[in-house]
Amino acid sequence: MLEPLLFAMFSGVAIGCALGVVFHKNSVHCALLLVGVLLSLAGIFILLHAQFVAALQVIVYAGAIMVLFLFVVMLLNVKGEVPLLTPGAAKGFGFFFALLILVELLWTVLSPGGQEGAPSEAVGLPRDFGSPAALGRLLYTTWLYPFEITSILLLVAVVGAVVLAKRKFF
Amino acid sequence: MDLAFFIEALVKILVVLGFVLLGVPLIVWMERKVLGHMQDRIGPQRVGPFGLLQTIADGIKLFFKEDLVPAQADKVVFAIAPAISVVTALAAASVIPFGDQFRIFGRDVPLHITDVNIAILFLLGATSMGVYGVVLGGWASNSKYPLLGGLRASAQMISYELAMGVALVPIILMTGSLSLAQIGRAQGHMWFIVPQFVAFTIYVICAVAETNRAPFDLAEAETELVAGFHTEFSSMRFALYYLSEYANMMVVSAVAITCFLGAWHGPVLPGPVWFLIKLSLFLFFYVWLRATFPRLRYDQLMAFGWKVLLPVALVNLAVTAVVLVLKG
Repeated sequence: MLEPLLFAMFSGVAIGCALGVVFHKNSVHCALLLVGVLLSLAGIFILLHAQFVAALQVIVYAGAIMVLFLFVVMLLNVKGEVPLLTPGAAKGFGFFFALLILVELLWTVLSPGGQEGAPSEAVGLPRDFGSPAALGRLLYTTWLYPFEITSILLLVAVVGAVVLAKRKFF
Repeated sequence: MDLAFFIEALVKILVVLGFVLLGVPLIVWMERKVLGHMQDRIGPQRVGPFGLLQTIADGIKLFFKEDLVPAQADKVVFAIAPAISVVTALAAASVIPFGDQFRIFGRDVPLHITDVNIAILFLLGATSMGVYGVVLGGWASNSKYPLLGGLRASAQMISYELAMGVALVPIILMTGSLSLAQIGRAQGHMWFIVPQFVAFTIYVICAVAETNRAPFDLAEAETELVAGFHTEFSSMRFALYYLSEYANMMVVSAVAITCFLGAWHGPVLPGPVWFLIKLSLFLFFYVWLRATFPRLRYDQLMAFGWKVLLPVALVNLAVTAVVLVLKG
């Protein structure tokens, strides 16, 4: 009873905020609405019994990355938009990527296994589902290689940032 | 979700909320009184016995002041920025346990609003969202000093949040749980400050910086920035920023007590009383710091956070992990 209601609330807020991100003129407001999207996604993660992922979503995306976004937007103080593409080309690209995401979503939902939907209490999940311990065990056993590759990717990004920021080394 | 559960949750929410909101004027009074005596003055003494009602009087004054909004300000963001600060501070208070569970009317009542199994992450998440209140307040004022103050404050909070989080990880390793109630329960025999003194020191320093308090109050360094991010705020919006600052002080102190100073454990007296005593002493320590140290310079502050606190916290974490593995 409560769960569909909460899901409707979170997804409604997420969609509303996402529309705001696209259509709002002020870039700081756009960034704030994006924070709204990320927070409602965290709410949906909690509904899926993935509390740890929800916390990471809030701390990493909403808390750290978006603050840096805001920093850049505020410091640059962009007045009006600087169009990168002609309106026609932008529409074309936008349509193409939207279509791509739609196909991807349909693929996921319609494929076998996509039908199961969200885990609910009735399915009988393991007791520690979504807990940090369970997630950590998975990351260091089943998904070890992707995990390590991702961490190397992040390390490369850190080194790259240092190199870019510090132009003179010698 | 039965009725008893609902009533229990409601009562606990009201108690914690009331405690934080009533605690803030008391802390402000304590701060002014202690600072006064430390500087060889008397402090407030006119309103109420020992000047106890001074903060209430100040609050009423702020309430009736004119609510100024700068003409060029971003009205919407200007309105929600102080609210974000207060909401995140109060939300963080919801996971703090102030006593062990006890039995009443045949039900076990744990003494915290909620014990999510990721309580520490919830706290860190709430504090990281608190940055928005500061940075948006500074930006929405559309004025030089608030913007600089807001940027300074948020850079400082992000930097020190990192070391603070890393300082708490050894505690998580030692208890094997992210739940604050579990961490509190694990300290029945020994407070974690004994094996984790380094982590405790780092945490306290970071907590002071995280709440933008002296000697790390660079966000509102009045000699350089007028009043920092809240320069343009008046009336209740200003009061909200103050409320959130002191509520945050209470939260980080409560976390320090829960993680390092034995939570609610103590001889003879019941748990919540011990918790209250420890909280008062910790807040006194906060004020004492303010009266003792001059403000740091901004580059010193950033260098200290990134080049001293974070590496020490990381080494401490590694040593703790190795020791725990060797002990089995």
